[in-house]
Amino acid sequence: MIGYFTGAIGIIVALSIVFLIRKDRLHTSNGLGWIFVGAAFALLGFTPSLFDELGAYLGIKYPPTLAFTLATGAIVLKLLSTDMQHSRILMRQQRLVQRLAILETEIRRIKTSSSLKGLSQNTDQAGKED
Amino acid sequence: MPSKNKVLIIIPALNESAVVGKVVRNVIAAGYSHVVVVDDYSDDRTAEEAREAGATVISPIERLGAWGASQVGLRYAVRKGFRLAVTIDADGQHSAEDIDVLLKDISDRVNVVIGADPSRGSLARKVAWMLLRHLSGLDLSDITSGFRAYDRLAIRRLAAWPATLVEYQDIGILLALQKYGLGISEVPVRMAPREDGISRVFSSWTAVFYYMAHTCLLSVSKRVRKRTGNTAQLETN
Repeated sequence: MIGYFTGAIGIIVALSIVFLIRKDRLHTSNGLGWIFVGAAFALLGFTPSLFDELGAYLGIKYPPTLAFTLATGAIVLKLLSTDMQHSRILMRQQRLVQRLAILETEIRRIKTSSSLKGLSQNTDQAGKED
Repeated sequence: MPSKNKVLIIIPALNESAVVGKVVRNVIAAGYSHVVVVDDYSDDRTAEEAREAGATVISPIERLGAWGASQVGLRYAVRKGFRLAVTIDADGQHSAEDIDVLLKDISDRVNVVIGADPSRGSLARKVAWMLLRHLSGLDLSDITSGFRAYDRLAIRRLAAWPATLVEYQDIGILLALQKYGLGISEVPVRMAPREDGISRVFSSWTAVFYYMAHTCLLSVSKRVRKRTGNTAQLETN
């Protein structure tokens, strides 16, 4: 019974990912990883003996620990990958903020020198009119 | 010594409205007309005071930190074609007269000159520096001085992508310079105490602990074992 429940979770996760991609709420490349998660849940749910056999083959006395260990390892790798992605985004953001600040300064300078030129032209004009 | 016209003075500043104007005026009086103050999203009139004193002011739309602000200045230097840049603190610790002293030491073999005053700081700070020197392998007496002169090669290296997101302007930057095989030297200078006495980096014990944990990890991770030359094309934008 619990197997079918776990398998159903896997299918629901996979369908949810497809829905989120369709609604542009999730990037497709991120969705791929989650599809695998859904597939893993489905596999575990519909073929529970698979882990028992694998655990026995690897010499693990209590095979369910294999599933927990693999799941924990996957979560840690995912968290690390997320932090690495976050670092790349922060770096890009910092570069953009820096570039924007420099460009704004240059624009301000151009505007200041343009308005000064306009002012001196007006002064020249006023002089001529006098 | 190069013409002062080819030198950009970079002053990263955070809430230094009380002294930044005086610092800028002293630098200009020392003969350096190209002064840029990077106002790191201050809450006070730092930008206005700097501008009134005659500096070009760059104001990022969010706080970047001391190194992030310095890097803005170095990127500006690359953009404007400056061959030399000097970073100086906005809190009045560094004397404008010492800029010449730093620049005199720049040569073919010395790309970065640090104005060093290892006598400053408390005993605790000196112990911390000793630990960080040991962990990082840096053979410098003043690893936290922000008073530095950079030549064109160092400017381009530090303005580039790989030098972004360094949190503090000390160990991480010095290790990066060593990794690129750039020559670093130190010249003794006298540093005045901070005019307002408040450290921006070590504003609380939490900040101190974070700095030490962060910098110890950085030192161990990026410790340079041997110098490597790197002539790869640099992307600065």
